[in-house]
Amino acid sequence: MNAVFYIAAAVAAVSTIMVVSRSNAVYSLLYLIVSLLSVALIFFVLGAPFIAALEVIIYAGAIMVLFVFTIMMLNLGPQTAEQERKWLSGRAWAGPSILVAILMAEMLYVLWGGDHQVEGRHIVEPKEVSVALYGPYVMIVELSSMLLLGGLVAAYHLGRRVHGDGKEQQP
Amino acid sequence: MSAYNVMAMSPFIAGAVAVVAIMLGIAVRRSHRASAAATVAAFALMLACIPVAAGVAPRQVTPLVVIDAYALFWLAIIFGAGMATAILARDYLRVRGGQPEEFYLLLLISCIGAGAMVCSRHFASFYLGLEVMTIPLYGMISYICSGKRGVEAGLKYLILAGAASAFLLFGAALIFSEAGTLDFVGMACATVNYSGSLVVLAGLAMVLVGVGFKLSLAPFHLWTPDVYEGAPAPVTAFMATVSKGAVLAALLRYFSTVSPDTFMSLRTAFSLAAAASMIAGNLLALRQTNVKRILACSSIAHAGYVAVAFLALGDIAAHAVAYYFAAYFAATLGAFGVITLLSANGDLREHDAMEDYRGLFHTRPVLAAVLALMLLSLAGVPLTAGFLGKVYVFMAGIRAGLWWQTGVLVFASAVGLVYYLRIIAVMTATPKDGDHACEVLLPAVSSAAKGLLAALTLAVLWMGIYPAPLLRIIEGIHLSAH
Repeated sequence: MNAVFYIAAAVAAVSTIMVVSRSNAVYSLLYLIVSLLSVALIFFVLGAPFIAALEVIIYAGAIMVLFVFTIMMLNLGPQTAEQERKWLSGRAWAGPSILVAILMAEMLYVLWGGDHQVEGRHIVEPKEVSVALYGPYVMIVELSSMLLLGGLVAAYHLGRRVHGDGKEQQP
Repeated sequence: MSAYNVMAMSPFIAGAVAVVAIMLGIAVRRSHRASAAATVAAFALMLACIPVAAGVAPRQVTPLVVIDAYALFWLAIIFGAGMATAILARDYLRVRGGQPEEFYLLLLISCIGAGAMVCSRHFASFYLGLEVMTIPLYGMISYICSGKRGVEAGLKYLILAGAASAFLLFGAALIFSEAGTLDFVGMACATVNYSGSLVVLAGLAMVLVGVGFKLSLAPFHLWTPDVYEGAPAPVTAFMATVSKGAVLAALLRYFSTVSPDTFMSLRTAFSLAAAASMIAGNLLALRQTNVKRILACSSIAHAGYVAVAFLALGDIAAHAVAYYFAAYFAATLGAFGVITLLSANGDLREHDAMEDYRGLFHTRPVLAAVLALMLLSLAGVPLTAGFLGKVYVFMAGIRAGLWWQTGVLVFASAVGLVYYLRIIAVMTATPKDGDHACEVLLPAVSSAAKGLLAALTLAVLWMGIYPAPLLRIIEGIHLSAH
């Protein structure tokens, strides 16, 4: 089972290198999704299925899809169709697809193989996570809420539209 | 949570309630005056909660947080600095229009984060506190959206602080891989037990790199002048004081359990960083023509001075660092306070060029006198708070046998005198002819800001002339491992 971990870790490393080395933002984001998925698989084989699910749902799912859509929408214009055709060329999706296929094969192997964890690891259930968060780590929850509030207020302020005449407009 | 724990955490609870209340107030009706007043009141309430918390201290609340005399002392000066920033920001933002209300929310949240850091006894709360302090700072640095400088400074800080946080996390992960815990005591024990381990050494080095960025110690100081110059003056005051002090306070607690001889290589590296920042900060400041940049370079040098005290470790370091930062907070807030008030006029420009200060003694004698006093305190001239702070650091260095580091400190302080005196010399020069336009635009200083500057002036003089009461408080602080 350690081999699953090492392969997933290698996929994570390769895809992350691709994220920072691609010059096109859309390709980088595709690789970033692969990177997050492989991290989720690592969590899964280490015995944290709940965190793995959160990683897929929140990071690879919600946040990254939002990123990809935003970047694609920013390119609206007459040349958009041409641009999209270029993005869909074979080379662009081959790399991420191969990496995701490796992850998929590992995932199927782990699910069919039965012993889906590295030896000697304790499986952390959602209940245990919640008990820790609302027991000894309750300050973490509170501080995180402050962190999100601070980020939200700062983003609201910086993101609002200011007209040329200096008048404010609500976003 | 028991009632005692709630009492111990009351400064934070008061702060969090105040943030939500002010935010809801803004949602109902925007009023700059009400937001600013409510923020100052909130800081007063948080300060008033500190004696309540002191009644049940020392107390460990959850495995993450400890409320003891050391933490409470730092909370008091952080909240005091936050209140001073709120008062200064009101004058500064009032003339600039826009939507000034959210600034106070960011300020309060940032102070809560800084407070969480100084109370933390676990890496998780330390790191989250650091992020809660830093993320609102991005918004505060680029708060004035109309100018490009603020946005540029905010972006620079965002990228570099992000890189520093990554270093910090990676370092902690490496230490965790050996220690198996993120508890400060457990991590410190691991650093002693695995003192031969390269992984732990690399982890500690990366933590120090991350912290070096935040403290702007020498090889990692390059962002400081740019960001300090681009940020609004009250935010610069806040960054130079609270964000540095809180990081060093937390670091000192972390290292309080490690014996100084454990990691000689790391100690040497930190000594070199301290010496380099003392020298680089002072030499860079000599070449600047912008008062904010001069103060930024001076803050690099001050980080170096205080790092010498930090190297002494243990209680003596805690006392020296606490006194030094109390003096440094008062003088820096006062100096940036004068810059803020001069910038709070109709032309919406930061008055930070050296030329803006020519003849200030003739046009605004009181403000000029306050600024001169603050600069003398930063330089460490006798009868000001800064002098005793330097003496304290010097003593800590000598007692710990840090001979060459202390030697560099003395040399660097002497060089530092030059650029502080240069600003004062420019202020005493006669104003150029045809400078009347400047006089027309002279800002009206609000009575709150006048009171603040008076209080800071008194604090600097009081700490310099009759420091016994403060020293008694500081020497009652014991930095135990818990």
